[in-house]
Amino acid sequence: MRPADNIHNQIKKLQLKASADLDKRVHDEISQALAHSEKIEPAHAELTAWRTIMKSRMTKWAAAAAVIIIAVIVGINHFIGPVNVTSVALADVLERIEQAQAFMYKMRVTTSVGMFTGKPAETIEIEMDYTITISNEYGMKWETETTDHNTGKTMTQIMYIRPGQKAAIMIMPEMKKYMQMEFDDDLVARTKKQNNDPREMIKQIMGCQYTELGRSVIDGKEVEGFHTTDPAMFAGMGENIKYTLWVDAKSWLPVRCEMDFKMGEQMQASSVIYDYQWDIPVAASDFEPTIPEDYTPLSSEAIRMPSMSEEAAIEGLKFFVELSGQYPKKLDMLNLAMEFAELKKKELAELKKGEASKDAGRKSKGEPNQVELEKVIKETMETMQPIQSLSLFYMSLVQGKKEPVYYGESVGPNDADKVLLRWKVSEGQYRVVFGDLTTVDITAEKLAEIEELQPK
Amino acid sequence: MLQDKLLIWKFNRGNKDALRYIYEKYKDDLVTLAAALLTDVSSAEDVVHDVFVSFIESRSRFRLTGSLKGYLATCVANNARNKNKAGRRQQTAALDNRNIPASARTGLPLRKQGSGSQCPDVAAMFGEELRRLSWSLAELPYEQREVLLLHIYSGMRFRAIARSQAVSINTVQGRYRYALDKLRSMLDGEAKNETSR
Repeated sequence: MRPADNIHNQIKKLQLKASADLDKRVHDEISQALAHSEKIEPAHAELTAWRTIMKSRMTKWAAAAAVIIIAVIVGINHFIGPVNVTSVALADVLERIEQAQAFMYKMRVTTSVGMFTGKPAETIEIEMDYTITISNEYGMKWETETTDHNTGKTMTQIMYIRPGQKAAIMIMPEMKKYMQMEFDDDLVARTKKQNNDPREMIKQIMGCQYTELGRSVIDGKEVEGFHTTDPAMFAGMGENIKYTLWVDAKSWLPVRCEMDFKMGEQMQASSVIYDYQWDIPVAASDFEPTIPEDYTPLSSEAIRMPSMSEEAAIEGLKFFVELSGQYPKKLDMLNLAMEFAELKKKELAELKKGEASKDAGRKSKGEPNQVELEKVIKETMETMQPIQSLSLFYMSLVQGKKEPVYYGESVGPNDADKVLLRWKVSEGQYRVVFGDLTTVDITAEKLAEIEELQPK
Repeated sequence: MLQDKLLIWKFNRGNKDALRYIYEKYKDDLVTLAAALLTDVSSAEDVVHDVFVSFIESRSRFRLTGSLKGYLATCVANNARNKNKAGRRQQTAALDNRNIPASARTGLPLRKQGSGSQCPDVAAMFGEELRRLSWSLAELPYEQREVLLLHIYSGMRFRAIARSQAVSINTVQGRYRYALDKLRSMLDGEAKNETSR
């Protein structure tokens, strides 16, 4: 081949490395100019799904977002909101388990996620087995084994949550990776108080409408059942919710818990919590992560859990507008993930088109390699982070029964006089976020006047 | 890219780490582009430095409407063009009324002037494998070289290049065609010379 035949490829091969001197000069400029900048808010990468996602094909990357949702529901749902203690029987159960200084239990979550490929029959099935140990003194440890039934692959993850240090560490042995996560003050406070354990499940069911199922027998033990289908149990995120708690009729301690719910048309999840062990002996070392020397960090910086404040939610709305030019149509996690998936699909299609027109023969055909896939997933999860804050805030409003109403389908960034999101702050008082993202507290009467003029 | 939009969203909020990430992500490509334009690594790094200084200053008002890579490449090209013009003015003044060598028309810095064979530095920049290409690129008129590199190396569309250079898209496409033809001719000629030796 003559040199001239290959000009495009040769030009693309031109590559210089920036010198250390330039690096220093630019980094110094950045440090000086942004000396008082805010801390980075990197991704909340939900690791339970990480390896499963990476094993998925790139064209199905969108499943990642949906799988994250499961973990968010399972993992963060319990950080949310106070409840009113009204039930005598469940209050007794709560009192008993609050006396336990350390305990452990197992949980199996089975999730079926429909792909966003236009083929409704195509689904992935993921099974996650958790062993969770909680100590009031030392923190919490989650060991998770995730199995993708479509590929038969499994992976293990161990997460140490240390509320006292405002941090968590996730270790992924198969990948020889680890990830550090920071909690913000708000989440630390919630974590300290609520700690993602059966105590919170009891409080949540107590905050919902539930029925007493009476006596039954599980594993030879006489148990008493409590059942709810109240959407508030999962912060309004799921449909067809069925939640059943079985407690030992003698000790009044939980024996088994069963959950079942659906999210949109794409996802069905069910889980069972079992094998509770109460007042087990634990040592500080059980909750201290040991990271082997050859493990490397998944991210160069500590990951922060997404904030669920009003401010973070408004930032999430701003970010979504920057991505798409409009507000998300709905604020629940699944719909947000799907809308985001559409944006990502468009971007990938654009990239593909650009590459094809520039250099059709250069790109490798077929499936992406592991590194490419990791990159795409990591970028996706990072970009999802502000959006997750938005959804989590909305979840907290639903769970707190603050009557949130969202008008994303009909209100846009230029609708300064229209209500985009509102929720109840106290009797007769509402907080309103307008289309231009300004906020105000108004009376119920005033809100009714404004909403009367809203586009239907 | 959605990731770039996230980085800009954080950058707008004064996030230092996002800015560092942007720099790390694009620095090598930008230095390469500037060096290929100016045929001088030191000047290229100055250009990239200056582009980032301006970029940092724009943090609160910066809005990304297209690709971040394209935006930064345009900034580098604009800055390199200015540097190139300034270099030519200096040369003209220094040479006073003496004859200007043909290579000065390319607008390269004085110490880099001349054909590739007279200027081993140009080839040395990109290594032996791309020696012929580096020399030939350096021989192209600056405007043609700029269009060629922005389109092929930085992946910019002709319309975007035309906008950034304030010329018509026909002019840009013309420069691109001329550049490719000249490059082909030079590379083929070089190959024939080597064969006949």
